Amino acid sequence: MSASLTMEKPWQRWLIRFGVFVAMVILVVPGAWVVLTAFRPNIEILARPAVWIPHQLTLRNFQGIFGLLTTQPGLPVVQYFINSLVISVTSTVVALAIGMMGGYAFARYRFRGKGALFLGFMLSRTVPGVALSLPLFIVWARIGLIDTELGLIIVYLAINVPFTIWLTDGFFRQIPVDLSEAAQIDGCTRWQAFWRVEFPLARAGLASAAIFAFLTSWNEFALASQLSRTTASKTLPVGLLDFTAQFNVDWAGMSALAVLIIIPALVLTFVVQKQLIAGLTFGGVKG
Amino acid sequence: MKFLRSPRATPYLLLLPAIVVILAVVLVPLLVSFWTSFTGYTLTKPATLFQFVGLRNYQRLLGNADFWWAFARTIMFITIALNLELVLGLGLALLINKITWGQRTLRTIMMFPMMFSPILVGFQFKYLFNDAVGLVNNALFDLGLIHEPIAWLVEAGLANFSIIFAEMWMSTSVFAILLLAGLMALPKEPIEAARVDGCNAWQVFRHITLPFLMPFIYIALTIRSLDVARAYDMVKIMTNGGPAQRTELLWTLMTRVGYQNSQMGMANAMGYISIIVSIAFTVFYYRKLTSARAFMGGAQ
Amino acid sequence: MANVSLKKVVKRYGREEVVHGIDLEVAHNEFVVLVGPSGCGKSTTLRMVAGLEDISDGLIEIGGRVVNALPPRSRNISMVFQSYALYPHMTVRENLGFGLKIAKQSDSEIKKRVDEAADILGLEPYMERLPQHLSGGQRQRVAMGRAIVRNPDVFLFDEPLSNLDAKLRGQMRVEIKKLHQRVKTTVIYVTHDQVEAMTLADRIVIMRDGYVEQVGTPSDVFDRPANVFVAGFIGSPPMNLLDAVVASAGGRPVGRLIDGVDVPLPGDVAVREGQEIVIGFRPESFAPRGYSLHGAENSLAMTRPVLIAEPLGTETILFAELGGREVQGKMLNPRVVKAGETLEFTLDLARLHVFDKASGKSLRG
Repeated sequence: MSASLTMEKPWQRWLIRFGVFVAMVILVVPGAWVVLTAFRPNIEILARPAVWIPHQLTLRNFQGIFGLLTTQPGLPVVQYFINSLVISVTSTVVALAIGMMGGYAFARYRFRGKGALFLGFMLSRTVPGVALSLPLFIVWARIGLIDTELGLIIVYLAINVPFTIWLTDGFFRQIPVDLSEAAQIDGCTRWQAFWRVEFPLARAGLASAAIFAFLTSWNEFALASQLSRTTASKTLPVGLLDFTAQFNVDWAGMSALAVLIIIPALVLTFVVQKQLIAGLTFGGVKG
Repeated sequence: MKFLRSPRATPYLLLLPAIVVILAVVLVPLLVSFWTSFTGYTLTKPATLFQFVGLRNYQRLLGNADFWWAFARTIMFITIALNLELVLGLGLALLINKITWGQRTLRTIMMFPMMFSPILVGFQFKYLFNDAVGLVNNALFDLGLIHEPIAWLVEAGLANFSIIFAEMWMSTSVFAILLLAGLMALPKEPIEAARVDGCNAWQVFRHITLPFLMPFIYIALTIRSLDVARAYDMVKIMTNGGPAQRTELLWTLMTRVGYQNSQMGMANAMGYISIIVSIAFTVFYYRKLTSARAFMGGAQ
Repeated sequence: MANVSLKKVVKRYGREEVVHGIDLEVAHNEFVVLVGPSGCGKSTTLRMVAGLEDISDGLIEIGGRVVNALPPRSRNISMVFQSYALYPHMTVRENLGFGLKIAKQSDSEIKKRVDEAADILGLEPYMERLPQHLSGGQRQRVAMGRAIVRNPDVFLFDEPLSNLDAKLRGQMRVEIKKLHQRVKTTVIYVTHDQVEAMTLADRIVIMRDGYVEQVGTPSDVFDRPANVFVAGFIGSPPMNLLDAVVASAGGRPVGRLIDGVDVPLPGDVAVREGQEIVIGFRPESFAPRGYSLHGAENSLAMTRPVLIAEPLGTETILFAELGGREVQGKMLNPRVVKAGETLEFTLDLARLHVFDKASGKSLRG
């Protein structure tokens, strides 16, 4: 690394370390504060002067949002959680299948209109979700998809498919064509060659594509907030907004809900850390 | 029928489901919204969907001060946010690149904000900047710096600052991580050659490191311009464009007009303008990316 | 019987034609090498035989059966790829047995045949390893093993040795030759390396720009190149090729070089005066007096300063000027020669090649 090339003086080194430290504090503290809040009793959160070091930690806030306490009716968080899970998982699985087919086509075949189609898919992603929500609202209302899980699943498919195509195209490109050809010479049909050779080799990449798709659906708000109306299809992010709309802002409850939303994201992002960076640079710099 | 069975049809068949999905969820609705932007469509009166009004929606928008404020604020927001994120991200990447120990851990920490969905970031800063219970005011109180609570999310300047701060917290990491990857891929030889040729640290950065990083910078900008509209979620929960439209962006304005005032035709006209803005930013950075790549003689 | 025959085979990509109507007969158990510079269409031709590229026009038959419409798996061929194309997620044993498994052979049969192949190629110690833990030479062997396990009618090799270093390449060349002697099968082998072609082939097919330039045994193409391209392509160091014009000296036709030197042309060459020709001779035919391969009778003597001398041990390559060009000569059982030293060279006229400059075709009868 260039560190070995440029010999810093000690004070420069300490300045660098201090700079990095401050940056890390800024990156970590806000999130950590929300997480901490989720485990603190309301009295401490609202205390004045502020209580910095928690005297006690509690799970009451979580019990509260799940409606396990008699005092607070809370939101139908359990239902939101189930909706989120059903919608995210279904749209991920289907988007992965559709995206994998598309990515394979782009990686392995030459065909007329290939460039234009690829560009078309990528351009479809530049449409802001909130701008898309208006016409979708009109169309979905006409065909009865408003406030259904299916309605949201279809929408998330469209959001995830282009990105999945982009990623899987890259993964399949990395697998030499020779391997599939060798398998065909070895007696496979093209279909067998795919499942026996190319698919197992792309599996790690496909798994990370699935995680990206899941996280996108799990975190999506702009479309969900307009296309869902009731507990039939409302997801957790929409539920979080509902919380702020209540008369008394329940910071502890909201923080608990926030923690609930972030845990899967936290775990999954951690799992795909490496692919996340690869995925970001994909097709970009390394080609 | 014969074509469908020939091997030439295979790629099209493979792409068919993807094409159908995009057509159904993106293209058709966009055509619908294109149509409605020329009608006086109001949600409460379905018949108005076919009431063609020509360019009236667009004319009204162009003559509407609220729209222009939101439009200008949106452009400002995108420009300021992307540029500040780039500068800070580059700085952070350079700093971390200098640290030889624990780089992986630092990188993991940097990913922390990327795990937060925009709605969570919005909630988080709504809480932190809250005048009564927020961390920021509490800290300032206890440090004795203020005696009256600061209304971070109410006063126009402060509210816009808070939103941009939240946006930067969310996305600076994207730049830092990408540019750090670029720095790590930086070949050593040209730097060593430049040092031998007598370049100082700044000259090495200016003439070797930066040109090498340019493709990474543009790809980061391209990626970010793709999802910059996600800031809508954040603003929605933080201020919802308020108070009194002080933080109104194109995105919040269009939902207010469309869903609350039911003026779908008008909202869709705005939606179209916002789509064009998004595509314009993406295309702009993407072209920079292609030329930077060609300049570097890189892959593809 | 598995002979392979190509009849007017054409390959087009869109409007661009890259292989222009090739005719070729490969006999049963024959080892045929397709050789030529990159982009000459040799790999494309091989891939058409394999069924990995469809045939735009013409016919390909294997064992008398037209295979144009058959997928690779139905042609009973096997192929060794330039990249080896080993399945990275399978062990050596699984790689070798994959084809048999697809063909639904019994486990005991697979084991028997895989062990047999492993024995032939000396792969036993590596059977449970993944390809990534093998050296280049070992991977090469696995690739060959995978090909022989299936006991195919035809072996196809696509530049199989080009990823190996020079020494290993030499070794594997010998092994492939041995393998062919042991497992008698029809082989079509593609390479850009003329040494490989010369050493391995029963017959060589030299290709350029999608055309066949010459088909013949190694000695055919070496001794009687059909045209300038083949002459320059086969042999190392390459044949010296000099422009000349036919003139007459003492009633006999000569080739007059640019620097005025007259080279007497062999009697069996049909030329007319004033014709532009290319005179070719191998470095072996141009040596200092007393150091030549075939002695000095019927030769043209000339005194030339040595420009550069490259001692290689058993021979020294000498560079001298002739016909306005730098030519290479070969000195056998050499003594030490220094650059600048003037030597008397003899040019063996019996082994002269004469080509028409316009068509490039050989003018020898």
